[in-house]
Amino acid sequence: MPTASSPPEPRRRLGEHGLAWAFLLPSVVVFALFILYPLGRTFYLSAHANDLFGAPSRFVGMKHYTDLFASADFGRTLVTTGLFVLFTVVPGVLGALLLVLLMESRIRGVRLLRSAFALPFAFSVASASVVFSVFYNPASGVLNGLLSHVGLGPVGWLTDSQYALVSIAISTIWMNLGYNVLVLSAGIGSIPGEITEAARLDGASGLRLARSITVPMLGPSLFFLVVISTVNALQSFGQIHILTKGGPDGATRTLVYSVYEKAFAYGSSDFGTASAQAVVLMVVVLCCTAVQFGVLERKVHYA
Amino acid sequence: MKRSARALAALLVSGLALTACSSSGSGGSSDDSGAPAASALDQASGVTTVEFWHSMTGKNADALTALVNQFNAAHQGKIEVKPLFQGTYDDLIAKYKASVQQKATPAVVQVYDIGSRFMVDSKQIVPAQAFADKDGYSLDDLQANIRNYYTFGGKLQSMPFNSSMPLLYLNDDAFKEAGLDPAKPPTTLAELGEMAQKLTKKDDSGKTVRYGFGAAIYGWFVEQLLAENGALYCDSDNGRSGKAGKVTFDSAKGAEIVQWWADLVKGGYAANTGRQTPDAQAAFKAGTVAMHLESTGVLRGYTEAAKFTVGTAPFPKTAAGDQGGPVIGGASLWISGPGHSDAQKRASWEFEKFLTAPEQQAVWHTGTGYFPVNSKALELPADKEWVAKYPQFRTAIDQLKGTKPTQATAGCALGVMPQARKGVETAIEQTIAGTKTAQQALTDAAKELQPAIESYNSSVG
Repeated sequence: MPTASSPPEPRRRLGEHGLAWAFLLPSVVVFALFILYPLGRTFYLSAHANDLFGAPSRFVGMKHYTDLFASADFGRTLVTTGLFVLFTVVPGVLGALLLVLLMESRIRGVRLLRSAFALPFAFSVASASVVFSVFYNPASGVLNGLLSHVGLGPVGWLTDSQYALVSIAISTIWMNLGYNVLVLSAGIGSIPGEITEAARLDGASGLRLARSITVPMLGPSLFFLVVISTVNALQSFGQIHILTKGGPDGATRTLVYSVYEKAFAYGSSDFGTASAQAVVLMVVVLCCTAVQFGVLERKVHYA
Repeated sequence: MKRSARALAALLVSGLALTACSSSGSGGSSDDSGAPAASALDQASGVTTVEFWHSMTGKNADALTALVNQFNAAHQGKIEVKPLFQGTYDDLIAKYKASVQQKATPAVVQVYDIGSRFMVDSKQIVPAQAFADKDGYSLDDLQANIRNYYTFGGKLQSMPFNSSMPLLYLNDDAFKEAGLDPAKPPTTLAELGEMAQKLTKKDDSGKTVRYGFGAAIYGWFVEQLLAENGALYCDSDNGRSGKAGKVTFDSAKGAEIVQWWADLVKGGYAANTGRQTPDAQAAFKAGTVAMHLESTGVLRGYTEAAKFTVGTAPFPKTAAGDQGGPVIGGASLWISGPGHSDAQKRASWEFEKFLTAPEQQAVWHTGTGYFPVNSKALELPADKEWVAKYPQFRTAIDQLKGTKPTQATAGCALGVMPQARKGVETAIEQTIAGTKTAQQALTDAAKELQPAIESYNSSVG
């Protein structure tokens, strides 16, 4: 529509652009300094070997990447990372959904429950992990104490490589529960009353109402949670560091933890390999998010 | 994406620091003449500041602060030592590496035992021996085995400060209850295994209420057992006659030790509390394990916390004929050379001499439970009083006195020692889980370690 509106005068446009840049500048600077620069630096480091002190010493090209994909350990790390996402995202979102739906039924004290379920949100990862380490303690842990009352156990929650990842996933689900409940509660609250009312008039209630009305209407919230939880799971560090340090026998070594180990732990300062892993992590997060937007979002109904 | 980039940012905070120098500052000179004479300090005007990085927490940090304050008060207007806590030993060494890149190393740094080879290779330090030689200061009072650990190329590289040794801890009450005599503790792994069976107690429902044995999955203990046997942990005489090119813990002896441990766990006679040391300590203090491996440093805490009589015994031998002994653990103090003034180096040396003198070591020993590095400290009344109060400590004194300093008991000096220790821990876990035999697990661990050793050695040049 070339004639619909005449272009603004060049001088005015320049002024507007200048103003826009002035407003953008602080965030552009912060973005460049704390995101773009480290990102570029990561690529740079991932292509270099390190000297004794971790400084990049010589260019090695793709060597760190080819070494990674040739190592069985790294394959295992990727699988562990995938399992951790699966173990935390699916039950985390479904569990929160279930709780929120149950709270929709008009039982007494539901407000109290809502606050209670949102409570984990108030805990930091570090303090929650310390509490869980007490629960899981092999000798004096609460969980094994409870199990022994019913004649089971003891289970090596964090010391048995079969259970350790699940144990960390359980603690992570609990930590995320509060946030998930909050988001879904808000989502339910924003479902227009007339829709539910119409459905009720048509005789829908309970499961039927949930299946046909509430859950589809929660689509955007659920989609948001799945994306956020996946990214969070891929980046989980605190609980792994406090509870297992990636062990036993590497059973809880996720990608992020592996990056940390290579760069900082055990006197290692292999920033080259760590950076290559960080790049892989970035690609994984990118792919997950892209797939979720490509596949899941199509099915989301935005009211 | 913002969030993932932020995760990377954590890694790259140090990257910001790297830009300043693309090559490392490792070319410094720290030959024997790196030690300035005492006059350097006399000529200095004003207060010479000594930045001191350490990893001490809790009671140990309190005791250290008190010693630093005492030193500063005695050198008022001349030297001021500024202690800076830098996190765990691992954290500290990571920060130290960054400080080398930024050419801003602390004047004195406390580094754990297994970081010693790296410190020597870093070429950032002035050996303690250089100062001692310059001054004609005798290092003979330093306990021989402890000195042995920190001696490379015939020269003492750093001043030992906080030293510890492993002991076998006993629940004396459990021994008596099982009809055993705590005065006759097990001396070999086989005996320990037999006693562990007798000490394991189950309730009516078949649930184990007390395990005979329990220790943290800590690679240090395997290092100790190999040294007890007189076996080497890495080649080139434990890295003492030259740079170690590979580890030798995957020997038949190593496998025997790891298999022994795993079998005790699998048989239900040993508790598996994982790698976390506090969990293993909690199990012993709660009385749920009867025999336990730990450092001398926890003795006081145990006697105060446990509701039973805590006994100690020498660290076990792998078999009756073993001629070796324990390896000293803990940390030592290193003086930085490049980038520091002669006055600073000199002040650092004065500080180290102060900390390792008999009086201070007695205060340190009795305040923390670390083994006094100065053998004269044990003769002081305050120290004797303490040992009388905690007679269990006598075991540690006798154990060290009875150990001949050899290459085996000097411990393996490997640049990537922390990773080697971790590899052994993984091998123990794999053997316990039954995914591998001990021999296979150790062979694999050694194989996985090889690239790290080679890359380390090539970057040292």
